[in-house]
Order: sequence, then structure tokens, then C-alpha cells
Amino acid sequence: MNTWHIHIEGRVQGVGFRPYVYRLALERDLTGVVYNALDGVHVKFSGSEDQAEEFYAAIIDKTPSLARITNHKITRETGERYKGFQILQDQSDVSASLMLPPDFAVCENCKNEVLLGKNRRSGYPFITCTQCGPRFSLITELPYERAFTTMEAYQMCHSCKQEYGDPRDRRYHSQTNSCTACGVRVALWNNKGQKIETNSQLAIEKIARLWEEGKIIAIKGVGGYLLTCDATNAKAIRTLRQRKHRPSKPFACMYPNINDVQRDCHIDSAEQQMLTGEVAPILLLPIKKKSVDVALSDIAPGLNQIGVMLPYTPLYLLLMQAFGKPVIATSGNLSNTSIVFEDKKIFMELSDIWDFALTNDREIVTPQDDSVVRFSPFKKQPILIRRSRGIAPNYFWPDTPTEQKTILALGASQKSAFGLLYGGLLYLSQYLGDLTFLDSTENLKRTIQYFINMLNCRPEIILVDKHPNYYSTEYGKYLADVYGGKLVSIQHHFAHFAGVLAEHSLIQKSERVLGIIWDGTGYGNDGNSWGGEFLVYENRKIKRLVHIAYVPLILGDKMATEPRLSALSHSGQNPAILPLLKDKFSTQEWKIYQRLLDNGSPLKTSSMGRLFDAVACLLGIMDTQTYEGEAALQLETMAQTYFDYHEGAAYSGYDTQISYLEGISTMPIIEGVVRDLNNGTSKNEIAFKFHYSLVRMVEEIALTNAMEKIAFSGGVFQNGLLVDLMIIHLEDTFQLYFHQQVSPNDEGIALGKLAYYQNIEE
Amino acid sequence: MPKLDFDIITLGHGSGGLLTNKLLDSGVFHLFDNKHLQQRHDGAMLTLEGKTAFTTDSFVISPIFFPDSNIGELAVNGTVNDLAMCGAIPQYLSLSFILEEGLKMTEFWEILVSIKSAAEQANVQIVTGDTKVVEKGKGDKIFINTTGIGHLHAKADIAPSNVQPGDKIIVSDSIATHGVAIMSVREGLEFESELKSDTRGLGHMVSILLDTFGEDIHLLKDPTRGGVATVLNEIARDRNLGIEILQKNLPLQNEVSALCEILGLDPLYVANEGIFIAVVSDAISEEVVEKLQSMEYGANASIIGEVTKNHPKQVVLTSAIGGKRIVNMLAGEQLPRIC
Ligand SMILES: [Fe+3]
Ligand SMILES: [Mg+2]
Ligand SMILES: [Zn+2]
Ligand SMILES: [Zn+2]
Repeated sequence: MNTWHIHIEGRVQGVGFRPYVYRLALERDLTGVVYNALDGVHVKFSGSEDQAEEFYAAIIDKTPSLARITNHKITRETGERYKGFQILQDQSDVSASLMLPPDFAVCENCKNEVLLGKNRRSGYPFITCTQCGPRFSLITELPYERAFTTMEAYQMCHSCKQEYGDPRDRRYHSQTNSCTACGVRVALWNNKGQKIETNSQLAIEKIARLWEEGKIIAIKGVGGYLLTCDATNAKAIRTLRQRKHRPSKPFACMYPNINDVQRDCHIDSAEQQMLTGEVAPILLLPIKKKSVDVALSDIAPGLNQIGVMLPYTPLYLLLMQAFGKPVIATSGNLSNTSIVFEDKKIFMELSDIWDFALTNDREIVTPQDDSVVRFSPFKKQPILIRRSRGIAPNYFWPDTPTEQKTILALGASQKSAFGLLYGGLLYLSQYLGDLTFLDSTENLKRTIQYFINMLNCRPEIILVDKHPNYYSTEYGKYLADVYGGKLVSIQHHFAHFAGVLAEHSLIQKSERVLGIIWDGTGYGNDGNSWGGEFLVYENRKIKRLVHIAYVPLILGDKMATEPRLSALSHSGQNPAILPLLKDKFSTQEWKIYQRLLDNGSPLKTSSMGRLFDAVACLLGIMDTQTYEGEAALQLETMAQTYFDYHEGAAYSGYDTQISYLEGISTMPIIEGVVRDLNNGTSKNEIAFKFHYSLVRMVEEIALTNAMEKIAFSGGVFQNGLLVDLMIIHLEDTFQLYFHQQVSPNDEGIALGKLAYYQNIEE
Repeated sequence: MPKLDFDIITLGHGSGGLLTNKLLDSGVFHLFDNKHLQQRHDGAMLTLEGKTAFTTDSFVISPIFFPDSNIGELAVNGTVNDLAMCGAIPQYLSLSFILEEGLKMTEFWEILVSIKSAAEQANVQIVTGDTKVVEKGKGDKIFINTTGIGHLHAKADIAPSNVQPGDKIIVSDSIATHGVAIMSVREGLEFESELKSDTRGLGHMVSILLDTFGEDIHLLKDPTRGGVATVLNEIARDRNLGIEILQKNLPLQNEVSALCEILGLDPLYVANEGIFIAVVSDAISEEVVEKLQSMEYGANASIIGEVTKNHPKQVVLTSAIGGKRIVNMLAGEQLPRIC
């Protein structure tokens, strides 16, 4: 008989880990203890070497589904003999876990309970257990205990208390435990501010009828309010678009169940798992053309995919069961600001949008949008588009950082997020909105302050973007002042690259990696706007190898919203191309812009995003866009359509001229596109050839420079077809690396900055 | 224009010798004639009473001629307006030129005439000055420096520290007109428009406001370079207060608005001449606007927003569709942020 000590690190607290170990121990008749500490879960027990090995393997093997083990070890100890097996309560506040669990989707057990009529929680819209339910959004302080959540307001009834105290119960120490008798209450309001229903069942039935009538309903969910309407009612959707000032950006749909999703969309098993798992994000899925009864052209104009989600809370589950059809479910906000989560605001600021609102009295501490994920169409590479509910604020480093300093990394501007490294643990925030809007800057400030207060830490190093006009840069400077921290600015694309390197443990190594970092814009080291970057990592250094040749950057931010300006800039005033563009402008605009280009622009750009815009515009997709990436998304859709019908054919692309001095000229691509257009080549094929040319460009540069490893990142790689073509065309020759836990877009920048700061020598 | 035996400026005109005297006698002195200049002394000797405001500004612009105006008028009005923003009544100006060899005498004369007329309108006397000539390529046609002195209006109490939460922010007329007019010439953009630069002396308007409203006028600013946005950010920063402005209340000529749209410019950042921003107490704000609207250069005066305790140091614009956008101080105006 020996004493053994198992130590498990990772997301192992607040997910039912101790009762899980407890049950395994009881099954084996082992004696010992299990307890939480600052550094994870500890198990100490008595047993023979064989018993220890078997128990250890059993614990690691089938962990609770929400647990994520990052490290585990077993050691032999001399020490006490145990009587029975016990779960020790946290003994001091030092033992508090620092890991903050995210908000989990409702689990299968709870689903069954709430939908079946024979238990005290049937029909209760806020049922939870240790295996599901909100966490992050309700936590006010650490450790994760009921007293430090907004569930504190609800006194558990006798039955709930009993479950809470029983280690054999699924609700043992379930901090969000509540029931119909003692829990959260809803209220349905009309637009005049009158409360019209407080019985949850009646409110749910009423909402189903209101959806049927084409009404728009604001519903308070886990991370904030969603705006909803019948997804099969084109008129209701148009009304919502009009009221939200959102002319064409796609809306997400919540489907009643997975069968209905399968009826309307192509979905494979990995995607299905994602949709029904604990994250339950919005998943972008290709539409089956014939079977769809949702109003697709109003939901996602010009696209062949829609964002789909399943009811991830018991409330949505009950609502969807009552309605039986998909609904539009979009974040309650104006344009790209952060999601509204306070009742006050939904009444004061968004009441022009909704007809009815369903509130509940459970307070939200930290607002979050729904996460958005897509899989590349062929290789099924998951691509995180928005990292929020169900994922944030967790990040699991592949290697635990040795850095013990507290470092705050701010992101960029439009898709803002931040990372806070404290005690070797990284908190990676949810998407916080577009920082050109006040709501989002307030959200950023509040969320940073929340973490600083909760961890009682002081940022010693603050990392910001080099862009002088980002609000995040400005706020980082302010925080550095307030906390007396060191301010370090890091180049945007270098950060993108460092992020993807860190996700694959490449950033501590010496081997060379080619970084394909493509996005819309980022402030370059030479003051120009970068975005079509080929970088090289080697031995803790990053260098710019080559880039898309500069073209004039005209009219500032207007260029990003008007693909016709990108087309004009990329045309290089080539007389063969100009006639194609002239009628996209008024006479006055044309005159002014020609003159501007004649005068020579002081600013230049190597943006890949603008090249996509230029090609999209030449193909007649659109001259101006209403949301970021609209033209590029439609270009991808066209290329995808071609690829669908010509899979495995011999592809051709456009030539490129690579100069390591001048950059990669895009003129051969633009001229090729125009030539094909004049020859009557189909637009879908041209769109595909463009995508393919880019992959060929990567290949040529990788071969010329004898690179074996290629990593790719940047907003352009939200393009599923491009990711697929990279993999299909390059995976045999090169080792490829792409993001895993963060988005390739600017949400991933915070992680990249942390990785850069700790590893890269300037 | 006087009859001269030269038609361009040469290095000799700055030598201090015969040519300089010729230029000054037949040009400057003749044009700006007053008792202080007549003294022909090394400096002007003035008698000042009470509190005095004193300011200086150099004018280095290209082009030097723009629709309906030129650098000369700007040089007078710029300094006169700086005095006015202190709540002072402009009295005296100094006037110094750095001329580039080769400047056409006709152009110089046109500028001098504009200076004279602007000075008359603003009721200031030019009492001292200087002229230097630099080699071709060492300058850009003409640089002008003016320094101004004026006595403070008896009822003026203008200081950033007077700005309070609840105060209203007023612009005296349409914004962005001057900057867009200048750009049309500088970039050779040929707007085919009737846009005129709005460079004007503001002393008279300010003096009337102070007569009527006195210390209820808390702060005056002329939103020149960097535009309205920059001035408001300075106020918010200095006072640690927030500022809220409403897009729908911004007075903007249709043509200016259309051109800003075409050029991707935010009119809030476009330079102005000839308008000012007044931060005034809430109680009199409507009356101030009415008063301004009755004046020649205030037809489009408007309350554009207010000072608030919320979001200190931030200027926030409520857009026409309700979103609240941050109007920050820009480091480089045209640097894109949209990805
Ligand atoms: Fe980026
Ligand atoms: Mg000055
Ligand atoms: Zn559950
Ligand atoms: Zn209960």
C-alpha cells in the first residue's frame, strides 16, 4: 500500500471534475481525497501500484465532456492513510481556481428533463447542471462559487439544496442550480413598456404566435439580447433589416433541431458535433438549393451558405419547440457595436427595432455574442470567425508559458478582443465589437477592468498595435500610464504570424517558417497600409520577405467600403482597363479620382483584401459594399460554384510577377481577368482562377526560398475555399499550419502580440 | 498697382538697400498708410489700456490664391481671429514677408491689396513689419507672419476652465467650406463648383456676442487645422469631460457635404477659416444661435452638441441612424482603419 498524488491542470474546475473522480474512486473502493487548488485538481489516495495506474488511466481517459486537461502527472508520496473517499472543500481563498469556465450549451440530460413532463423542472427555461449552463457571463468574482455569481440572488429551495449537497447527483455543487420554484423569472413586454405576461409557459406560447404574425422579438439569452423573427417570413426579415439599418449583412438562423438543419443544409459529422456540442456556435453551412423554405435571399443575399445554430439554452429550446420553424437570431445592437445586455438599454436604445421583448431577472455580468465557426468545404478545416460564447475566455496554450509577468495585449480595431496573461494563465477575451463605436470602447474598458479587478493584478507590460489611430492603441497608452506599465507596440501582421506560430509551438524553435499573412489593412513599419504579406520566421526573428506590390491608397477608409476604388487603384490607369471602370463612377468622381491618381498618392497599400475587392468589382459583383468582406464573400461563392462542378480538373491560374524589390505585381492578374472577361470566360471560372493564382503564388515563393513550413493567417483566410486550395495544392510538398483556437482575423491579434513579445527579438 | 520698373521680386528687394525702399515706398507704406507707419521708426510705439491679448501666426500655404481669397487675407484674419477667440478687440498688427525670388509683382500686389482690405474690415492697423527675400527654391512664393495686439472686451471671461457639463456647443456657420475650397485648387480637382473659401474676420461677431452675453460665453475656438473634431477633442482632453455631438445638427453646405463624400473626408476634420466654436451656458444657447443667425457670417449657426460628464476625454458623434461613433484626434488623417 502506497500513497499516490495525481495532479491535473487545465479546465477542470466548475465542470464536475471532483464528483467525477469521487465516483470513480467509489467504484474502485479506493480511499483518499480530491480537492481544488490554484493550480488545478489534486487527488491523493492509497493503493497498490497496479490500482494507482488503473485509477490514473481511468481519470484521464473519460473526463467530463466540458473538462480540458492540459497537463497531468502522478507521483508516489509517503504519507497518510485515508479512510473513505472525500471531496475536500476549498480551504482558503488561495486555493481558488483561476480558470474561468465559459458559458456552456444546455446538455442532453437537461434537455430531456426540460422537455419531458415528469419532473420538477419540466418547462423551466433556466435548467442547468454541472455539465451545462452559463458560467462566465454570470461570474462577478473568483473563485467560481454561487456567492460570486448573479445566481446569488436566488435562494435555493429545499430540493435544489439537496441535489447541491449530494456528490452522487449531477447537480452536486452546481453553482447555477435552480428550479421552477426558486429560480429565474421571465417577463414579456410590449413596445409601450407594459408587462403583458410573466408566466413562462404562456409567454413562450405567446411569442410563438407573435413570430407567426411577423413580429420582431428581443429575447434576453446568455450573453445578451438577440433580435428574432420568423426566418420563413421575408417581410418580417426586411422589416428587421430596415429597423436595424443592416441592408444586406447575413443574419443567423436558429433551427428547432438538427433534423431541420439537415433538411436545409449540407452538414457532415464534424460540423454536426460542433453544432450540438457545448459551444453550440453559429455554424456557416452550405445550403441545399432545392429544399430550403427559409427566405434565403433575404437572410444571406448573394451567398450560398447561412449561419445556423441550435437552441443552446433551455429557454430557446422551449421557444423553438413551440414555434417549430427556424427564426432569425441576431445580436441585439446597432451596426457593429457590442451586444446589448442590460434591460435598461434594450428599452431605451433599441425599442425602435423590436415589437416585444422577453426579459428575465438573471443579471448578465459579462456580455457575449454568439460564436461563429465555419468549416472549409472540402478539407473540413475549422475556421473560427468569431470567438465568444462557449469558448472565451479560455485559451489552452500548447506549451505553458514561463512568463510570470502580467501582460495585457490589446487587439486591433474592428474586431476587438484582448488577452491578459497572469500567473502563466492566459485569458483571451470574447469579441468586443468595433472600437470606432462608443458602446464597444465601453465594453472593452469594462471587460479589461473586470479581469484586472477579479485577478487583482496590475498589467506590467501593455502591448498595442502600431496603428496610431486605433482606439485600442490610445487606451493601451492610457493604461500604461495608469498602471505604470511598459508600453510596447507590435506590427499588425507580425502579430498575426506570431499567433499562428504559437498555436503550433513553432515560435520557440529555430526552423524557418514562411508566413502568408493576408488581410484588409494593418499599419506597416514603413507607414503604408500592409495586407498582402509574405513573412519569414527564423530563429526568433520575423522579417518581411516580399509583399503584394504597392498600389495607391486613395480616400482613406472609403477605399475599403468601395471595391470600385480598389479596382481603379489596381488598374494602374491602364488604358485597356479604364473603360471597364468608367461607368462605375459619376463624371465628377471620375475626373477627381483620375486627377488624384495622376498626382500620386502619398499613401500606398499592399492589401490582399483590396485585391479581392478589385477583382470582385471587375467581375461586376458590386461597386460599393455594405459590410466588411461582402464583395470578397461573393467572389468566394462564385469560385466555389465553379470548383463544385470542376473538382479534380486541371486548373489554370493567372501569371504573377514576383520581384523581391518591387513586390508582387498584380497587373498580370488584373489584365488576365479583363482578358478572360472579354473572351467570354464565365465569371465563376475567373473567380476560381483568381483564387488558384494566389495559391500558386504561395507555392512559387515557398519553393524559390526553399521553405518547408508554411503558416497562414489574416482575415482573408476566413475564406473557406482559399483555405481548402492551400491545403489541397500544398499539403503534399509543405507542412501547413493554420489557427486552431483563435480566429485568423483580427480577433487573433491579441494572442499573436503576447507570443511575439515573449519570443521574438526585434 | 503702382508703376514699377520691375515685374518680379529679386534678391535685391530684400537687401535693405535701394530696391527695398522702392518696394516699400511705392507698395507697403503707400497702401497701409497710418500715423504709426509714417514715423518710419524701427518699431511702433503704442499706448495700450487695460488687459491686452497678444498672438502671432505664420502662414505657409499652397496654393497662395484660392477661390475668392488668398494668403494675404488669411494672414490678417487668422491673427485677428486668434485675438477674437481670446475675447479681445483687435487693434494692431505687425506684418512680415518672406518672399521667394521670382514672385510676380502682380501677385504680390494682389496679396497686399487683400491685406489692406481685410485689415480695414477688421478695423486693425498695420503698424510695423519686415520683408526678406530668399533664393529661388528656398521658399514657396511667399510666407507671411502676422502678430496682433488687441484689448480685452470688458465683459469677456473666456477660459477653458469655464467649460462645464451641460454647456452647449455652437458653431457660428457651416463647417468644412474653407478646407474643401482649398483642396479643390491644391489638388487641381476642378470641382466645377462655386465653393468659396470662407476666410473672414470674426472680431466683430465676437464683440457683439460678448456685449450681449458676457461671461455666459465660456470658450471660443477657431477650428482651423484639424477641424471641429480636433478643437472638441482638445476641450474634452483639457477639461477631462466628454462631448456629445449630433450629426444631424452639423451645418454643412450641400455641395461641401457631397464633395466630402466623394473625397472620403469627414467634414469634422476639414480645416475652417471664418467660423468659430462657442461653448456657452445652456440657458442662453438658443439666444446665441438666434443672434448669430441674424449676422452676415452666421446664417447657419447651430447648436451641435453639449458637454457631458459621461465618457471623459471622448468626443462622441450620434450618427443619423443612432449609432454613437467616437470622433478621436487623428494622427494621420487618411490612414485607413477599416480592414
Ligand atoms: Fe489583420
Ligand atoms: Mg496663432
Ligand atoms: Zn445539464
Ligand atoms: Zn429549486
